[in-house]
Amino acid sequence: MPAEAFTRELAARVGDANVQTLPVAAGDPPAWQVSPGAAAEVAEIVRLCDRDGVAVLPVGSGARPTRWRSAVGRQRVHVALRRMDHVVHLDETSLLVHVQAGLTGAGLEKVLAPRGLSIGDYPATMLGSTIGGMIAVRTPGKSSVRHGFLEDAVLGVSAVLADGRTIHTRVAPRRSTGPDLSRALCGSEGTLGVITSVVLRIHRRAESRLVAAFRLPTCDAALAAAHLSLREEVKPAGLRIYDAAEARAHLGAELQQTGVTLDDGAALLLVATAGPTDLAVCDRDIVASAVLAEGGEAVDTRLGEAWWKLRGGDPREVPPPSFQVTVTPSRQRAVYHAVGGAARAVGAVSRAHVSRFDADGAVLFFTLVTPGPGGRPLDGARLEEARAACEEAARGAGGWLLGSRSVQFDPYLAALRAALDPRGIMNPGALV
Amino acid sequence: MPRAHVDPDRLRRDLESLLGARRVSMREGDLDTYARDMWPRLLLARRDGRPPDHLPFAVVWPEHPRELVALVKLARALRVPIIPYGGGSGVCGGVVPVHGGITVDLKRMTAIRAVSRDELVVDVEAGVNGERFERELRRRGYTFGNFPSSIYCSTVGGWLATRAAGQLSTKYGKVEDRVAGLTVVTGRGELVETDGPSRAMHGPDWTQLLLGSEGTLGIIASARLRLAPAPQLEVYRGFEVDSVAQGCEAIRRVLQRGLRPAVVRLYDEFDTFINSLGKRAPTGDAAAHGAPRGATPGYGAPHDDGLAPLPAPGEGALPVLPRPDPAASDGGGDDDGVIGKLLALARGKKRGLRQEAIGLALGNARLLNRVADRVARRGCRMVIGLEGSRIRTEVEAALVFAELAHAGARDTGEVAGRAWLAHRYAVSYRMSPTFRDGAFVDTMEVASTWERLQDLYHSVREAIGRHAVVMAHFSHAYPDGCSIYFTFAAHGDDLAEARRLYDAIWRDGLEAATRVGGTISHHHGVGLLKAPYMTGEHREAMSVLHALKRSLDPDDIMNPGKLGLGAPRAADAAAKGGRA
Ligand SMILES: Cc1cc2nc3c(=O)[nH]c(=O)nc-3n(C[C@H](O)[C@H](O)[C@H](O)COP(=O)(O)OP(=O)(O)OC[C@H]3O[C@@H](n4cnc5c(N)ncnc54)[C@H](O)[C@@H]3O)c2cc1C
Ligand SMILES: Cc1cc2nc3c(=O)[nH]c(=O)nc-3n(C[C@H](O)[C@H](O)[C@H](O)COP(=O)(O)OP(=O)(O)OC[C@H]3O[C@@H](n4cnc5c(N)ncnc54)[C@H](O)[C@@H]3O)c2cc1C
Repeated sequence: MPAEAFTRELAARVGDANVQTLPVAAGDPPAWQVSPGAAAEVAEIVRLCDRDGVAVLPVGSGARPTRWRSAVGRQRVHVALRRMDHVVHLDETSLLVHVQAGLTGAGLEKVLAPRGLSIGDYPATMLGSTIGGMIAVRTPGKSSVRHGFLEDAVLGVSAVLADGRTIHTRVAPRRSTGPDLSRALCGSEGTLGVITSVVLRIHRRAESRLVAAFRLPTCDAALAAAHLSLREEVKPAGLRIYDAAEARAHLGAELQQTGVTLDDGAALLLVATAGPTDLAVCDRDIVASAVLAEGGEAVDTRLGEAWWKLRGGDPREVPPPSFQVTVTPSRQRAVYHAVGGAARAVGAVSRAHVSRFDADGAVLFFTLVTPGPGGRPLDGARLEEARAACEEAARGAGGWLLGSRSVQFDPYLAALRAALDPRGIMNPGALV
Repeated sequence: MPRAHVDPDRLRRDLESLLGARRVSMREGDLDTYARDMWPRLLLARRDGRPPDHLPFAVVWPEHPRELVALVKLARALRVPIIPYGGGSGVCGGVVPVHGGITVDLKRMTAIRAVSRDELVVDVEAGVNGERFERELRRRGYTFGNFPSSIYCSTVGGWLATRAAGQLSTKYGKVEDRVAGLTVVTGRGELVETDGPSRAMHGPDWTQLLLGSEGTLGIIASARLRLAPAPQLEVYRGFEVDSVAQGCEAIRRVLQRGLRPAVVRLYDEFDTFINSLGKRAPTGDAAAHGAPRGATPGYGAPHDDGLAPLPAPGEGALPVLPRPDPAASDGGGDDDGVIGKLLALARGKKRGLRQEAIGLALGNARLLNRVADRVARRGCRMVIGLEGSRIRTEVEAALVFAELAHAGARDTGEVAGRAWLAHRYAVSYRMSPTFRDGAFVDTMEVASTWERLQDLYHSVREAIGRHAVVMAHFSHAYPDGCSIYFTFAAHGDDLAEARRLYDAIWRDGLEAATRVGGTISHHHGVGLLKAPYMTGEHREAMSVLHALKRSLDPDDIMNPGKLGLGAPRAADAAAKGGRA
């Protein structure tokens, strides 16, 4: 079908104002961006695309444009969910919210906060994404010691499949009626359907929140103290470990203000506990005793408060980590030291913080810098070379690099896609 | 579609060449044994002396994942179904070989391997008996935290395949919440491992897509499961509330404050009433059972090794657990009993008399339910238990009890709570006497969000109550909702009548649950029993399940006819359609 005719067809479904032809390189097939206002419109668009074999690329906040390019070579429609940003139903009795996929986490928090409610203690960096995008991409950054993994908070998903059919997975706190079908959509990166709305568990705002800061003689000791606390079933709202170099880079001003000094091998452990006051206090004290047992001590609480305030994103622009590794508890020390060794071997220095503790482990964020005081982040070819060596070392020590995929399941995913999307229109470039 | 018949000699040869003659059986007795699980509908026919409708072609006992691969490959080549078999304790007919096939008993795959001291995970093979698994973990200072009433007769693989729930699910979650990875032999005959630390992985979470698949997508060979340190402290307490609604509200408040008791149970008026029959006093002698060992009243060290006593030998296929002393409290263990409880209504000594009494009582279900409504306005019993690390549990318990009191619940003391703990497994094992007496009993576990829970309770209770005597308790509570466990009993004069009644109860009960937005199963699974209701449950989303099936089991050899994936059997269609 000629491009103009297709544009008209799209416009007939979502209105002229919500269709846009995207600029493409000469000779490339045309591309459109549409912004449907309702799930029914999404279904119509998808059906139209399925009819003509046009690719459908769901777009949340659009933080991941790289993925789109791979669909070039084929006509494509970017389905931007941003107009679908309504809270459909807030069930304060069950603490559930049914929300359209295009609302951002921050947008949802704005609706919840005045009612004393919240998505919960997840990493604040997550909140810039849309709810649909958040659950469409599985990353280790979306978990909370207190509440579990974000997908565990997903009670139901509504989605439009490639044939235009809309599915609603049924909402129940738990069920034993076969596999959890909403999990097919979680992490599918738009390859199995367009998520139109989600039913999410929410939480009452914690009655108390306490932060504390501790200094430990080594990073190993800090990790041991963290695991000791978690074994005692502490459920912190936030938990983070900085090695000395990383602490200076991230919290230099605060260290100076509070007069807290760190020896080169030392580490900082920061924790926020939350809940009914007695429990928040209890959790903080358990962490404190674990720290003590590992030879550490409490330092100025203001350090903790500064960290808690900054965790949503640092206006002072700490450079993004060079790479991140998910590591189960028994391997964390080994990975930390292996990367340190690998960096030294190529004439660089690695510094790290450990965060995103969850039931499976934690994420180690490494930044590679030049040796010597005030080390500057590596860039260009030096970074590439050092990173390759360090990632190799991390993997060798038992870490999992971000974005790994279970190759064993590739044929199964392909078959699943083929069954639900025989024409292969759904985000064809993703997850291959 | 799988083949209906195979050449038995060829099949035997092929199987024996894979496993050796000792681990293959085509003996009649074995085929008969493996034709069923604990689905009461099958027991009805059994009582009547009917042979099973479906028999497997063969039963095999593999010992290694490699043998599972070979078996599935063989089955694919022969187009013969594979039916994974754990403990056979399922209550939905999940292991019934509706198209014949090779029943694969996993009970010889029992390795338990610790991963590392620092990791709170364990690698365990699917065939391990649940109680043995937990006992081994306790010895090493851990718990998996899954305590289904069937812990003595179910396997870890069966738990994972059905998304089972243990009694302490409010703290530990259901099994699906505690799985770090699975090793599965898919219907394609490939051994695959789902994610390591899964959130580092892109793509859908295959672990969650395989859990609950009831053998229809593959055979779970082993799993990496998350552990918790064994509890240092257990705190149990009884409470009493005026009504189900008040009790639910109290529980909801506790959970939504972020507090996590291990177990919360609320018995409805009738359940509470039946429970109180035959007791001398609400407290008193019951203290003899599960008396606390800790010094502080209300707090105790974990009792024994945290497990119920082993069954006495020689008591048949199912262990017979210590019966509650009728003079003391029976503690009202889980599914306890219509068997113990309703029989208390008709506690005749002679069998004939008893039978008659039951027939009478159960034949007038509506009447009995109505009488119950009237006599039972005496409030509802609650049991609350916490366990975990010493200090934190103590702090949390104080907060929980205060919140309950604030919501109007009356503290009935520690003994009332401990009594439940002492008898928590002394449950449904007493099914057979009821069946012997001509009646039948079953349980229906539905769930919904808090918003719909009272609706769910009343609708399902009314629906079942049209045909049977029904009581309920609320257990498996979460911040967002709760499960309701209905126990019902009825009496049919002959097999046809009993089946008609049985099918009508399930049809009306499940349809009521679906109508008010509840799920048709919180933890027992689907099997054959709920297969006809899967479309009502998932509607268009069934297409995702069908797609999964096509991906993992393209030839439809894995436990065909289950989970609502196959064409419904004539009997199911009749059960659903046939109005009384
Ligand atoms: C390089 C990079 C690294 C990142 N690393 C992390 C990390 O470690 N941790 C972390 O938490 N976040 C990370 N993110 C952010 C991650 O992209 C977001 O967490 C979030 O998943 C994206 O949400 P979004 O609304 O921006 O979606 P987009 O960026 O617009 O879309 C992301 C993907 O999801 C699909 N998608 C979006 N909406 C829908 C929908 N409604 N239905 C179906 N599919 C949909 C898109 O097609 C696309 O494939 C990273 C992002 C980038 C660019
Ligand atoms: C007295 C009694 C009390 C019960 N109490 C509870 C309770 O408290 N909570 C609860 O959740 N359930 C309970 N049940 C139900 C039952 O015990 C559970 O469903 C249990 O999980 C079944 O385990 P099993 O090993 O006996 O599995 P089986 O009955 O052998 O099989 C169940 C299903 O899983 C499949 N399967 C088994 N093993 C595997 C495997 N390795 N790979 C793939 N598929 C497999 C089978 O094909 C079948 O479809 C109870 C049952 C009884 C009889």
